[in-house]
Amino acid sequence: MAAEDADTATFEDIDWDAQGISTLGVSRAGLAELLSYLGLIAAFVYDYTWNTGPLVFRWDVLSVEWLFIGTLIAIVFHAVIPLSQKPRLRAFYWQRFKKNQVAVVALGWLAVMFVVGVLGPLLIDPPTTQFTNQSVPPVGMSTTVGGVVKTGTWQYPLGTSAKGQGILTLVVYGMRVSMEVGLIATIFSVIIGSAVGAVAAFATSVGRGRIDELLMRYVDVQSVFPDFMLLLLLTYLFGSELWMIILLFGFFSWEGIARTVRGEALQRASEEYITAAEASGANMLYIVRQHLIPNSANSIIISATVGIPGFILGEASLAFLGFSDPTTYSWGRTIATGQVNLASAWWIATIPGVFLFLTVLSFYYVGESLRDAMDPRQEVDGGGGL
Amino acid sequence: MSKQIVNTESNAAESLMRVDGLKKHYPITEGVLRTEVGRVRAVDGVSFEVRAGETLGIVGESGCGKSTVAESVLRLTDPTAGSVYFDGEDVTAYDDTALKRFRREAQMIFQNPDSSFDPRMTTGESVAEPLKIHGVGPRSRRLEIARDLLERVGMSGEDAARYPHELSGGQKQRVALARALVVNPRLIVADEPVSALDVSVQAEVLTLLNDIQAEFNLGVLFISHDMGVVREVCDRVAVMYLGEIVEMGRTEDVFNDPEHPYTRALLRSIPTVGVESRGTDAGLRGEVPPPSDPPTGCNFHTRCPEVIQPDGYDFEQAHWRGVMNLRVAVERHGVDVAGLRAFVGVEDDASVSPADADAMKAELRREHDIPETLTDPSAEATLEAALDDIVRGDVEDGRAVLAEEFETVCEGESPPLDEDGTGRPTACHRDGAAAPGGDD
Repeated sequence: MAAEDADTATFEDIDWDAQGISTLGVSRAGLAELLSYLGLIAAFVYDYTWNTGPLVFRWDVLSVEWLFIGTLIAIVFHAVIPLSQKPRLRAFYWQRFKKNQVAVVALGWLAVMFVVGVLGPLLIDPPTTQFTNQSVPPVGMSTTVGGVVKTGTWQYPLGTSAKGQGILTLVVYGMRVSMEVGLIATIFSVIIGSAVGAVAAFATSVGRGRIDELLMRYVDVQSVFPDFMLLLLLTYLFGSELWMIILLFGFFSWEGIARTVRGEALQRASEEYITAAEASGANMLYIVRQHLIPNSANSIIISATVGIPGFILGEASLAFLGFSDPTTYSWGRTIATGQVNLASAWWIATIPGVFLFLTVLSFYYVGESLRDAMDPRQEVDGGGGL
Repeated sequence: MSKQIVNTESNAAESLMRVDGLKKHYPITEGVLRTEVGRVRAVDGVSFEVRAGETLGIVGESGCGKSTVAESVLRLTDPTAGSVYFDGEDVTAYDDTALKRFRREAQMIFQNPDSSFDPRMTTGESVAEPLKIHGVGPRSRRLEIARDLLERVGMSGEDAARYPHELSGGQKQRVALARALVVNPRLIVADEPVSALDVSVQAEVLTLLNDIQAEFNLGVLFISHDMGVVREVCDRVAVMYLGEIVEMGRTEDVFNDPEHPYTRALLRSIPTVGVESRGTDAGLRGEVPPPSDPPTGCNFHTRCPEVIQPDGYDFEQAHWRGVMNLRVAVERHGVDVAGLRAFVGVEDDASVSPADADAMKAELRREHDIPETLTDPSAEATLEAALDDIVRGDVEDGRAVLAEEFETVCEGESPPLDEDGTGRPTACHRDGAAAPGGDD
């Protein structure tokens, strides 16, 4: 043994005396992520205090869009980069995921929704109220609205609303809102839920059961708290801004994730690779980050994808009830305004409704198929059914 | 290690790790206030040392506390009492930084190859993980080091890209060895490293461990329940029973001339191919007493086949063991008199006829391996009196009679781990005294 080439690094080459001992370690990816967040916060502070005009070209970044950018950074660092670094893992999951063809179509639909939702509002002007084009039907159709015969044109391929706003534009802007609601709220609930769950489990496994007890009893209390009432109250008191609704969703829906992660991590915490890492000098933060959370990732991702449609529907319901941010063009709000004209102009409520329906359904299908791909234990015969 | 480097005993090999009076007790608590109602004495005062280039084996039955020793010396659990010195420094007093440095120099190999690797990490990443923890970088250099090391433990460089579930148990233990070695440690604690492998693979892994130890002059603390494996790899061996070391010495000496009755029993448990020795069991009866309630005196007296006889009586040793079985039953968990009555068919409130009493006494004797009559008449009379008490239901009287008449030094005094006899530390009252019995 020990056939050593001069140019191959071996473990004997490490100069341990020159190697500093730090009990606080941050990986390079972690550092890059941290810097991204700090940059984002700096840009936000700059925009909020000094800058008056639009920040980038014509784009005046709104409060909720800051959160959305943060969410996208988190997704890049925790999903895109790890997957791109592990081609074999990626191929393995894709192999299993694509067994469910409906889910592949659903994933395609979500990809379109995501891309159009993110880029569309940058390219298309926001919908404007035009009293000259009220309730125009989709292209190729004619109806009589208020005694006037109107025929759809290519100017408004999906017709216009009662205020003359193009339905297509409303749908595109609505995609952005739905993606924002679904992803931001989910990221928040995943971060809080998995941190609480993993810390609770690890505390138990190292004999600090009281921390676990404290955290999980709080989770119990929060899970019976009527957060819909709180939501109504807060939106009534402080106005219904979208970022607030999203954060409320995020902060009041992580209990399930916390419980799942705790259960999963408790199981993992007794495995020897945790002890091995500890015996090699890893600290609690490292073990939670590198072992407990990645190994509970399957359950986290599954509960997250199943949670997203809930958030989107929740926002749509709030908007439908009238508790929506008047400056955003959520699908729920368009449906709510359109339903009064349902008899005369069916397309106003129906078209965003179809988009909402398909998007929510797609998230369910993708979540279902992800579950089968990542957690074979739960696979039902035939797989993929709702 | 092993036998080619005969540097054991008395030469100036430096002590790498010295463990002094190590105790690990787990409190048993009750109620909301967690009042302590007892303690599980997993490790109860253990001292030994491991020198550079030497393998010290710790051997014992399941539950004797050997794995707790492994965890305590690496401070994976904090010991209740005692000290662990590494290079003369007290590990139990280390702060976070010093502990992290220590955990680079002392590494561990685990029993279960299936759970000792993160299933989401490739072998290369797992081997490189300690480097990552200790801040060696960048990632490409870590992986290069891991690949090199994997080749040196008999895997191929391409195996670095494989996941643990794609490897066999033996391969995984090779990888585990690589992971332990990657930070260039001076001490490796191996907790049952081969007990999950089949015999042919065991030999390969043990040979590899031997080679690596010789190459890097490592100290190895080797924990096992398998006397055969210990004989193969260890220079010195410490035998543990119920949280205490009962005998310690050079492997050849302990195996060729075991001084403690427990060691002798363990040695009898090694399977052999000889026809004449087939079918003999280790001669141990009963279960290991719970460490939450260890016996008084010598821990082993409840099961020891060579337990010392009381003064003034002359038993055959096997018969005396039978009487001791009855005494242990009466002392530690009582005798089920109601069960006995039911066994011979006496109604709950009926008095016991002489015939029934005889049947019950015969059953008690049978149950505890006592012959129908003892050869020593005075002992027989005492035993009979005690049995009469017991079948009448006066278990306490019977216990008192037995305890007074058949008092043995083994239950009264705890034997020190001293070097009487052949000059090897052994914790037995027979050690050093004129060895009676001599039935081995």
